[in-house]
Amino acid sequence: MYIVVSYDIPEDKRRTKIHSILKSYGQWMQLSVFECDITSTQYAKLRSRLSKLIKPDTDSVRFYFLCGCCQRKVERIGGEQPRDETIFFAESPST
Amino acid sequence: MGTVYVTQIDAFIGKIDERLTVKAEQKTILDIPLIKIEGIVVLGRATISPAVVNELLDRHICLTFLTQSGRYLGRLEPEVTKNIFVRKAQWQAVGESQPAIHLVRGFVRGKLKNYRHSLLRTQREHPDIDLNNNITRLENAIAPIEKTNNIDSLRGLEGAGSAAYFGCFQQLIKTSEFQFEARRRRPPTDPVNALLSFGYSLLRHDVQSALNIVGFDPYLGYLHVERYGRPSLALDLMEEFRPLIVDAVVLSLINKRSLTLTDFTTEPLSGAVSLTKEGLHTFLRAYEQKKQSNFKHPVMGNKCTYQEAFEIQARLLSKYLMNEIEKYPPLILK
Repeated sequence: MYIVVSYDIPEDKRRTKIHSILKSYGQWMQLSVFECDITSTQYAKLRSRLSKLIKPDTDSVRFYFLCGCCQRKVERIGGEQPRDETIFFAESPST
Repeated sequence: MGTVYVTQIDAFIGKIDERLTVKAEQKTILDIPLIKIEGIVVLGRATISPAVVNELLDRHICLTFLTQSGRYLGRLEPEVTKNIFVRKAQWQAVGESQPAIHLVRGFVRGKLKNYRHSLLRTQREHPDIDLNNNITRLENAIAPIEKTNNIDSLRGLEGAGSAAYFGCFQQLIKTSEFQFEARRRRPPTDPVNALLSFGYSLLRHDVQSALNIVGFDPYLGYLHVERYGRPSLALDLMEEFRPLIVDAVVLSLINKRSLTLTDFTTEPLSGAVSLTKEGLHTFLRAYEQKKQSNFKHPVMGNKCTYQEAFEIQARLLSKYLMNEIEKYPPLILK
């Protein structure tokens, strides 16, 4: 499933932690917005990890589910593009 | 799901949270969620942190080591599956048994028929080239397969068929830049052979992973005899895929001029030819795209990718050995 995650966390340290967890499940698109293409098991794990970490009275995390047909209708102007996930090269650009 | 290729020399492969990170010269050059990774291929030297080793074994992600020129060195592999019955059936068929002969026939037939189709296609598309002689030789090798009842003779037919195919491989190459005389390995001393060898190394990594998933012992084969450290069954199952994937990728890269002679370097002493960094990227990307491309599986009847076909063929192999199906159908594409 395809999920857009957005969050509001006032405390820097906790925000960094949330950011790091989300990076393990999806791609960072904008300041506090991630897009994750994951299975329901992976979603459950992500959700439980996040809910353990946040302080519900000050923090908030939102998950927006995109269906297959809506996912194709996403328009992007500038900024991050979704990465190609069929092949990854580990190589420094300089050499 | 994708494959990670670590082509940077002396890279450090580590992990942060649930992500794989690759560092070189104190800079992070790759940071990818582990859930997006299904295999890692290291070309050349790399340091791998113990935490990553644990994580890869735990998540059943295979790690393969190749030399910088693409020669296979070895792999880190999760525990073989607990499906003892598949391995028992595999062992029971060892030697000159009826199932072993049937399987070898299948592997050889699959490979040679795919060779034949690729020659026929070239012939059709380029009527100016004359491949009739080689096609006849190939057909002469295919015809007796069904009647042959011993593995050594089948090996002979495979050899004759391959010789006929590689005998006219040069004519499948449409640029004058590249020349192919004969198949040369260890080390490959011309660009075409270098590409073929490198491609077969990558293919082996994929086929062996599929065999492991299904529960086979990849070191016990039927067409290839046992030798210390040689994954014979992976080499057996690879046969039918060689022309479909590697040869197709190599020919298309050369004929479309995506690769040119400037993409290769030659080692002065051994004469070994290998790809430059840019050439390597072009090749790996083409190979990966081929693996993810769709086709209709002739036996299963549904659409699948070559990546999935590795596992489908391995499952058919196990079903045949466990007496669930009558025949093993090799993957033959027209």
